[in-house]
Amino acid sequence: MYRIILTELIKIAAKPRSYIGLIAITVIVGLIHLAMFLDGLNYISFITNPLQMAFSLEGNILNGNLVCFIILQTLIIQIPLLVALVTGDLISGEAAMGTIRLIATRPISRSKIIMSKFIAGALYVFLLLLWLGLLSLGLGLLLFGPGDLIVLKSEELVIIQGTDTLWRFLSAFGVAYLSLLVVSTFSMALSCFADNSIGPIMSTMAVIILFTIIGTMEIPFFDQIKPFLFTTHMVIWRNFFDNPLPVQQIINSVSILAAHVVFFLSVTLYMFNKKDILS
Amino acid sequence: MKNLLVIVLFLLYGLDGYTQQPDARIIIKGVNEKFAKVKDYQANARIDTRISFLKILPQKAIVYFKQPDKFKIKSTGIAILPKQQFDNLFSLLRKEDAYEAFVSGAEVIQGRSTVLLNIIPRSDTSDLVLAKTWVDTKENLIIRSQLTTKSNGTVLIDYQYGKYSDYALPDQIKFTVEVKKFKIPKAVSADINSTASKVPPGKEPKTGNIIIDLKEYKINLGVADSYFK
Repeated sequence: MYRIILTELIKIAAKPRSYIGLIAITVIVGLIHLAMFLDGLNYISFITNPLQMAFSLEGNILNGNLVCFIILQTLIIQIPLLVALVTGDLISGEAAMGTIRLIATRPISRSKIIMSKFIAGALYVFLLLLWLGLLSLGLGLLLFGPGDLIVLKSEELVIIQGTDTLWRFLSAFGVAYLSLLVVSTFSMALSCFADNSIGPIMSTMAVIILFTIIGTMEIPFFDQIKPFLFTTHMVIWRNFFDNPLPVQQIINSVSILAAHVVFFLSVTLYMFNKKDILS
Repeated sequence: MKNLLVIVLFLLYGLDGYTQQPDARIIIKGVNEKFAKVKDYQANARIDTRISFLKILPQKAIVYFKQPDKFKIKSTGIAILPKQQFDNLFSLLRKEDAYEAFVSGAEVIQGRSTVLLNIIPRSDTSDLVLAKTWVDTKENLIIRSQLTTKSNGTVLIDYQYGKYSDYALPDQIKFTVEVKKFKIPKAVSADINSTASKVPPGKEPKTGNIIIDLKEYKINLGVADSYFK
C-alpha cells in the first residue's frame, strides 16, 4: 500500500498543474501581505468604520493574527478550486491517458488503488494547507507582530486576545483540512464518471461557486436549503473565532463534513469497482 | 403706594432667592482647583466593554495624563473606548471663557447631594452642544456628567471616588453610550453562515456601557512626553 501511495504522490508531483495551487497561494498571500503592509490601516479603518463612528479603538489592530484571518476568509472560495484542479484529475486523468487499464489490471484491488489515490490527494491537500498556514500566519506574525484579533461578523464584532488565537487557528486549519477533503473526495467521485479531467474539475468548481452564492444571499428561501449544502459547513472554521465557542454547532458541522467524505469516498469506491475499463 | 410696596418686596424677595442660588462659576472653580493639584498621573486601568454587538473580554491598560491636556491610554491589547474620553470634561471646564454655565437644580446621586450645572460652549463650531454636570459641592467632585455632542449623541458618565478623591481622581468611571445597530454586508465580512439577529427589530439595546476601573495611581511623579506620542 505504501508503495502505491508513493507512486500516486510521484504522479501528482510530476504534473505541472499540481504546482498551480502552491504558486497561486504564494502569489495571493504575498500580495495581501504587501497590500496590508503598505495600506493596511486604511483597509482596517474601512471595515471598522461603523464602530469608529462612535468609539475609539486603542491598541495594535493591524497585526499578524488579523492579516492571517483576512487571508483565510479571502481564500475561502479559491482554495477548494485549487484542490479540485489536482484531485479531479486523479481518476479521469488515468482514463484520458489510457493508463487506467494498466493500473486496473495490476495485482492490486481497485479499492486499494482508490484508497491510495485518496491518501495521496489528502497528503497534497495537507501540503497546500500547511503552505498556506506558514505563509499567512507565520509570515504574518513576522511582518506585523502579534496582537488581539478583531473578527468581523455581519452583526457583531468579536475581539479575541492575542494569547488565545493560536489554538483557534490550528483548530480552524484542522476543520479547513476536513472541508478540503470533502472537495477532494467530491471531485474524485465525479472523476469516476468522466474520461477527461476538465469535466470533473469544472463541475466541482461550478458546484462550489453555486453553493457559495446560495450561502451568501440573504433570501429566506435559501435559508431552508443552506443546512444541506456542504459549503455551509465548510466555513465552520470561522466558528473557532467566536466567543463563547459554539461547540455543538462545530461538532454538527464536523460530523456532516466527515459524513460527506465517507459518502463521496464510498461512491468513488463503488463506481471505480464497477467501472468498465474495456470500452 | 401699597401696590408699589408689594412690588418692591416681591423684587427684594426674588433677588434674595436669586442670590441664594450657588454660583456655577464658583463651583467650577472649586472643581478646577482640586484637579489642578494633579500635574500628572499614571494609573492601571481595567476596561470592561459591555456593548450588545461587541464580544470582548476586559482589557488591561495604563492611563497617562499630564497637564494641561495630554492624555493617553496604552492597552496591552485592543480596547474600545468612547469618543469622549474622561479628560474631555476637565479640559473644557479649565477654559472658563469658552462656555456659559448656570445652576439648574439639585439632586441626590450615589447618596451625595449634588448641584446640577448646565454648561454650554460659546463656540458654534464646538462638537459639544451641552454638558450637564452634577457636582458634590462639599468635596468639589464631579459625580456625574452628561455630554451631548453633535457627532456622537449623548454620553452619560458616572464617577466613583475612593482614596484618590482628594485629587478628584476616580476609582471607577462608567460610560453609558448610545449604540446603533451594527450591520455590515455579508460580502464584506465573509460571514456566510450567520443568520439574522434573534433580537426582534426595535428591541435591540439602545445603550451600552464601558466601565473603566482605575487603581494604583502614581500622582505627580512625572510622566515623560514620550508616553503621549
